[in-house]
Amino acid sequence: MPKLTVDGVTVTVPDGATILDAARAVHIDVPTLCWYPKLPTVGNCRICLVSVEGNPKLVASCATQAAESMVVATESLAAVKNRQGVLSLLLERYPTDQIPAGGYRNEFEQLVRRYDVPTDRRSGMPLRTGDERDNDPVIRHDMSTCILCTRCVRACEDIQVVGVLDVANRGDHAEIIVGADGNPEHAGCTWCGECVRVCPTGAIHDIIPMAVRAANGNMVDRMRSKDLPVVDRTVRSVCPYCGVGCQIDLEVRDETVVHVRSPWIEENTPNNGSTCVKGRFGTDFVQHRDRLTTPLIRRGWSKRDGRWVFDPVEHARAGWQRRGGPWDLVQEESMGKKRRPKSNPLDTSPSGMGSLGDPRDRVATPKSWYEPFREATWDEVMELTAQELTRLRDTNGPASLAVFQSAKCSNEENYLLQRMFRGGIGTNNVDHCTRLCHSSSVAAMQRSMNTSAASGSMREVETESDVIFILGANTTESHPVFGAAIKRAVKRGATLIVADPRRIELAARAHIHLQPVPGTDVALLNGMLHHILAMGLEDTAFIAARTHDFDSVRDAVKPYTPERAATITGVPAELIRRAAETYARGPRSATLWAMGLTQHSTGTDIVATLLNLILATGMIGRWGAAMIPIRGQNNVQGASDVGAIPMVYTDYQPVTDPAIRHLFASTWGVPDERIPLAVGLKVTQIVQETSPVRGMYIMGENPILSDPEVSHAEHWFRELEFLAVQDLFLTETARYADVVLPGAAFAEKTGTFVNTERRIQLSHKAIDPPGKARGDLEIIIELSNRIGLHTPFASSAEVMDEIARVTPSWRGVSHARLDGNGGLQYPVLNAEHPGTDFLFDDRFPTADGKARFVGVEFLPPAELPDEEYPFMLNTGRQMYHWHTGTMTRRSFALDAREPGPIVELNPADALELGVGDGDEVRVSSRRGEIRISVRLSTRVARRQVFIPMHYREAAVNLLTNPELDPYAHIPEFKVCAVAVAKATGRQEEARGSRLEARHSAV
Amino acid sequence: MSHGPSAAGGAAISTTPHGHQSEPYVPVFTGETKARLDALMERYPTRMATLLPALWMVQEARGWVSPEAMAEVAGLLGLTAAYVKGVVTFYTMYHQHPVGTHFIQVCTTTPCHVCGAEDVVKAFLQHTGCGELGVTSADGKYTVIEVECLGACGFATPVMVNSDFIESVTPEKVPDVLKRYG
Repeated sequence: MPKLTVDGVTVTVPDGATILDAARAVHIDVPTLCWYPKLPTVGNCRICLVSVEGNPKLVASCATQAAESMVVATESLAAVKNRQGVLSLLLERYPTDQIPAGGYRNEFEQLVRRYDVPTDRRSGMPLRTGDERDNDPVIRHDMSTCILCTRCVRACEDIQVVGVLDVANRGDHAEIIVGADGNPEHAGCTWCGECVRVCPTGAIHDIIPMAVRAANGNMVDRMRSKDLPVVDRTVRSVCPYCGVGCQIDLEVRDETVVHVRSPWIEENTPNNGSTCVKGRFGTDFVQHRDRLTTPLIRRGWSKRDGRWVFDPVEHARAGWQRRGGPWDLVQEESMGKKRRPKSNPLDTSPSGMGSLGDPRDRVATPKSWYEPFREATWDEVMELTAQELTRLRDTNGPASLAVFQSAKCSNEENYLLQRMFRGGIGTNNVDHCTRLCHSSSVAAMQRSMNTSAASGSMREVETESDVIFILGANTTESHPVFGAAIKRAVKRGATLIVADPRRIELAARAHIHLQPVPGTDVALLNGMLHHILAMGLEDTAFIAARTHDFDSVRDAVKPYTPERAATITGVPAELIRRAAETYARGPRSATLWAMGLTQHSTGTDIVATLLNLILATGMIGRWGAAMIPIRGQNNVQGASDVGAIPMVYTDYQPVTDPAIRHLFASTWGVPDERIPLAVGLKVTQIVQETSPVRGMYIMGENPILSDPEVSHAEHWFRELEFLAVQDLFLTETARYADVVLPGAAFAEKTGTFVNTERRIQLSHKAIDPPGKARGDLEIIIELSNRIGLHTPFASSAEVMDEIARVTPSWRGVSHARLDGNGGLQYPVLNAEHPGTDFLFDDRFPTADGKARFVGVEFLPPAELPDEEYPFMLNTGRQMYHWHTGTMTRRSFALDAREPGPIVELNPADALELGVGDGDEVRVSSRRGEIRISVRLSTRVARRQVFIPMHYREAAVNLLTNPELDPYAHIPEFKVCAVAVAKATGRQEEARGSRLEARHSAV
Repeated sequence: MSHGPSAAGGAAISTTPHGHQSEPYVPVFTGETKARLDALMERYPTRMATLLPALWMVQEARGWVSPEAMAEVAGLLGLTAAYVKGVVTFYTMYHQHPVGTHFIQVCTTTPCHVCGAEDVVKAFLQHTGCGELGVTSADGKYTVIEVECLGACGFATPVMVNSDFIESVTPEKVPDVLKRYG
């Protein structure tokens, strides 16, 4: 702990700290160009040189360790002279004529001003050059302003671990290059924008994909962020996409979010200020023209004698059925020929500013979708919705109503909505997309250790874990910021084991890639555990002290020798052994998984087997041995935590317990009997012919595209008596609604969100919702009051106070505590409690504190390939899109990167089928058929295909198998049998007529 | 100012479209070449250490190191394509654009210059039909460049054609030299 003096201030710093660290610790601003926090130090710019007493030469403060009794002068005459020299040399190759008189545009020019360096270039040397990105949708280069600090190179290599950039032609022609050929796509660029964030001159900058007002008052569609006029304010928000929960700063001008900026890298945020492409460039959907700005009511509804009635005549006149409209069903559209460009949009995208038109018009909702609706007032839609909800409740009973809540909405909104349906309507038919996501994880974790969330934190995986075992999670695409953290962990020396049927990026970087046949995970994990027991690598002390029923597992895994597991899974026995030993030897092994394990008809079994592995090796309850089911949506954890699932209230308190029911009923001011003690229906039980549900309220979900077997779902929703949808856009589901309530986007409201590591974070309102659209909380409060449930909240902070009162593990949470920091990881037991970064260090939250083993037998997926349907279909996410595409397909940058649906097909299979990259094929299963472009990819194994879930015009859920897991009722999205054939015109016609026949049958 | 291959190569890369879509790239490291690289990798503690020899193998097989080849090498050695290009552009002896079948390097450092290397260069440019330094002759046979010190000042002007070393070349001897490399 050396003690030194910097500019007369005495400071003590940790061993190994640099002079720069010491200066920064006492807020002395030593200028830096190549140095940037958390990047490797290179010490090449020489601007941070300082004088050290007794040292004849200046020393680089960023690269010199602080020593005991050092006396440092950061602004000595020599240091200042040196800085002026460094800056004037850099200015010799800098477009000094662009520096505004008396001002500056960036970090570098700011230093030029600070040290008062003349900007007349004397040498006549040419400006610098480098690879430009002229056609890029968002990231552009202007390499004439590059000063070769190489921050971008290191940010790309060391933060995002991609390595697109480097320095070439070293010497006087040195320049920053993009890959080997200047094409970022070929170099593996992920458009995260980390280079934009660190560049000190704007040589690498972003084009704002949002519509902004330029300095002259005109609206322009895109502009360079560095030319952006001063923003009115910057508001801290939480990214609306995945479960990592990145904090982002929204820059607002003229009541429009014009730009996303990273929080400073040293701030306490789960993402260290990093983002992926979606967070930085994918939030312009907020100002898309398609935003619903006024409430809508389906034509035919009118008020007579004080009551709203539906008269189908007007609909019938237009040729529509009760809930129809002038559009193709998803099924019809998916079979059509695709108009959108094929793969590699970067090679084909038009160049130049403005030529792409107004980004707000991108991928608009078809006008015809609005035809069945008329604009309405809030009073009308509220009255109609309240009337229909209460009518169905009173005539058909509360069980005839159900609500789909939203993992995109805040905890407060979700809490109030389930409160409205439980307390106001009297039904537990409350669910959301967790059903299609981690419900099987929750079922297995509840059964085994009575928990429903990650045990640890993302940062321990990055910094502490010795072994990282990832199963069924394409983290670098689905959770890119966490994916980068995992890649950094591997760089640090952690061993990476990946189990995934596709050779995804992490698999290619892994030390061991287990590539099982989809759906055979139970056999794989049992095989690993078999080997661990055979080798005696299990943690006997942990098993004895912390668990029950180990014998059931010992018996269950006995038959699964690595050889037998190899036969079932297709993974070589030797690899299974190696993975098992590596994992069990740890010493600290983190276990991460996502949809690849859960979305199976045996999802709960699969996760249970994984939990057995975790428990048998004691890889839980220690810092570095984290168990993390990686959460998909930004608030799927929170929505579940606050009771948006049919079995539990907040904090997973069961609805079947009368004492707990009493707590909630009395808090809400309703009689206990109002709320049933029976668990409600789940998403996948609600959308069934046999379900009693006749009326639905849907907030921020698009089940018609996200549920399995779309054609069935689309039909089911049309048959409802009443459907209300609260959303930002007229989605595939909303077009069948009776009333559409325009809600607010993430930037337009204040609320809290829970990320995948139980971190509750506060997101602030930046702007007002457009037009007459309202905050979702406001909508729910008014509707609750209208159906007779007293709901006296004025702000989301007040709602959080009620949540904290009824939620033991959130008792210490309040908006005031969450403001301006990295949030709190629950359990937060009281107002002083600091939160919990990892759980289960001494006990599990079960009655006796012990976890339970559940032995599991392997069962094959419900549908396997056969002669008629020889391919295995896998579904999932792409980097650039999100779920049903409601938001991302309306984002300029994201849509430019992935404009249309594709199927990943192994080149060897493509050769057999006689199709090439970009050709259209028909993919059919026993349930449906879609027409889609081929993307050749060796990521998929032979006889397997992968189709992302984002595209209406090739809706993969027309094909997926609705077979459900018996415990969690999660559908088998990950495996079904399909046939693939080249699409030809004639077949199209034939199928068209077949389709017509099927329609008339319906 | 010398037109080294690196400057010319840079220009070639940024202006010519590469065959990523039109003509599929044929990998260099297959069969025997791959076996040679694998054998080499065993000699070093890291894969990265074989970067320079791998690039030589590419140049040997293709005559130059294309961006696609840089990406191929990067993939094999666990490096990024940009890093490989950084290395390729650092060394003048890796060609970043196609060169003639016979690559002629004429020493023009001070002692050779004094002994008339300039005229030797001119003679080569004239007799090969290249016309300009760094440009490949129309028949694809020759490329001539100036080179810094071949280490044979006593035998000015030394010339290297491919890997052959030829000393005491004068403008008059140039046609004879070229005859050997028809």
